[in-house]
Amino acid sequence: MRGRTPLLALRQVSRYFGAVEALVDVDLEVHAHEVVALVGDNGAGKSTLAKVVAGVLSPSSGQVEVDGEPVTISSPSVANQLGVASVFQDLAVCENLDVTANVFLGQELRGRAGLLRDGEMETETRALLEHLTIRIPSVRTPLRHLSAGQRQAVVIARTLIGQPRIVVLDEPTAALSVAQTAEVLTHIQRLRELGLGVILISHNLNDVRAVSDRIEVLRHGRNNGSFPASATHEEILAAITGAA
Amino acid sequence: MNAIDSVRDILTRNMRQSGIVIAFVAIVVLFAALNPNFLSPTNLTNIVLQYSYILILAIGMVMIIVAGQIDLSVGSVVALTGAVSAVVVVRQGLPWYVGVLAALFVGLLVGIWQGFWVAYVGIPGFIVTLAGMLLFRGLTFLVLDNKSLSPFGGTYYDIANGFLNGLLGGNGFDVFTLVIFGIAVAGYAVSQWRTRQGKIAYQQTVESMPLFVAKLVAVAVVVMWFGYQLSISRGLPIVLIILAVLIIAYTLVTQKSVFGRHVYAVGGNRHAAELSGVKVRKVNFWIFVNMGVLASVAGVVYSSRMNGAQPGAGNMFELDAIAACFIGGASTTGGVGRVGGAMIGGLIMAVMSNGMQLMGVPQSMQQVVKGLVLLLAVAFDIYNKRRASVLR
Repeated sequence: MRGRTPLLALRQVSRYFGAVEALVDVDLEVHAHEVVALVGDNGAGKSTLAKVVAGVLSPSSGQVEVDGEPVTISSPSVANQLGVASVFQDLAVCENLDVTANVFLGQELRGRAGLLRDGEMETETRALLEHLTIRIPSVRTPLRHLSAGQRQAVVIARTLIGQPRIVVLDEPTAALSVAQTAEVLTHIQRLRELGLGVILISHNLNDVRAVSDRIEVLRHGRNNGSFPASATHEEILAAITGAA
Repeated sequence: MNAIDSVRDILTRNMRQSGIVIAFVAIVVLFAALNPNFLSPTNLTNIVLQYSYILILAIGMVMIIVAGQIDLSVGSVVALTGAVSAVVVVRQGLPWYVGVLAALFVGLLVGIWQGFWVAYVGIPGFIVTLAGMLLFRGLTFLVLDNKSLSPFGGTYYDIANGFLNGLLGGNGFDVFTLVIFGIAVAGYAVSQWRTRQGKIAYQQTVESMPLFVAKLVAVAVVVMWFGYQLSISRGLPIVLIILAVLIIAYTLVTQKSVFGRHVYAVGGNRHAAELSGVKVRKVNFWIFVNMGVLASVAGVVYSSRMNGAQPGAGNMFELDAIAACFIGGASTTGGVGRVGGAMIGGLIMAVMSNGMQLMGVPQSMQQVVKGLVLLLAVAFDIYNKRRASVLR
């Protein structure tokens, strides 16, 4: 991977909430065809970092680069335009809307006069769900009628809309059963095969070691070690807790 | 779908969707039985003329409520825009269309003003429009110098009181009115048929063919009967055409446009919508701009209907419009509600007011009844939702 321009790079990024230092001088690089896991204890700054990349929070200082170019990700729609798709920890869906509407939310296919191209969006949604082997009764089902696992599946299907190049997954398996978790991990590997850069945030070291190429540890908002996927459980755990 | 499922489906989902229509029919039948004049051609025409401005307000209000906001200022905006129009037409003697344009422009400014405070300053719509209610009422008094201005007369008066009659002739009834209603029924049948074919194509359950046809025939009979009653009275009210165009346009905007989709998303889960790249501020801004403009349309219709502008015009209209939305199935927490539902909700209010007036029920009693109906309608909706979630 050395020598190539990373797809996404954070250089000395800090984010403060008043006196609280959520992120301090964090560096992170993600290349194409790479799954980078971000691990750390509660409050280590993982979700803050995800929100900075997704355009929900802006960094207090430091530089974000996409394709080596400095960028300002000022809003989620700017993130979309830059090719960054995100899945957040809290199930971020509109329960009153159906599956298709949720998958395409914010990136609807527009026809003449701003009207929705409903037919095409439905066809594409069904193809997408089939591709990810997600079973849902109908793409016209409102999300309030689906289980938590099915909702998360819809949220993950969302990330593939609009040809993203970088996908940020914040605890994508937290609310899922064992079988559904395995499916999501397969999906993450498929994202890598498609040439995307993936940032995977998780508590579960087994999940992380199963799919990632590199594991970055955050502790108290700072970088605290970078490990290959072959690193032992104990080494990573020591970096997370600061025991080393 | 087996037999038990179908029964369950009719009891839950269909009940919730069609409950409001059934209630409407029941109220109409009740008043028709109590008073023979209720279904007379003249009275049906009067209902349309008397409540058109509430229905116009309810169109904008349902979008605001779906987005999780509320607008308390529309009554005052109706008064202010009517007053501006009266100053332009009655006091300055300018042509009727200048008055209409001036009213629409003021409505636009009001919408921009309120949209700015809600969307970009972040003050809840309840507070902004409560302030607006006082603000625009006060401005109305200033504009009118505390005095009524009348009469408009002429073309302006015809906006809410005029009829299209005799365009295609007819003996004792207006053929043009019947043709328009015929086109409307045909359009409704075609759109229902296409929806049904679409559902079949996606292997969704649809009601059986005889039930579907029976539903279409029932709607066609009622609509054509209503059209016939109008045609043997004074013909097609101009305001009914304005209303029909607005209903069709806004049904399209809310159900088929990207903007409409975003309004529902913001009301369903503001946070999720924002994270998904929906421009929540823009949506909030434009629904209030839209409400301002629709309130000015209602202001024009109301001042035309009254043939003048009064400082106290439009008092309590906001409550009628809000009640129409909630009776029509809008959710108090946002995200749910339709233009069609709000229209039926508005008609329920209209029919009740008119029916009770015909029967000589005192104003005080009318208020009590309308209050109770609003409460029961929302209670019924909540009860049905709860039962549906238990059965699921």
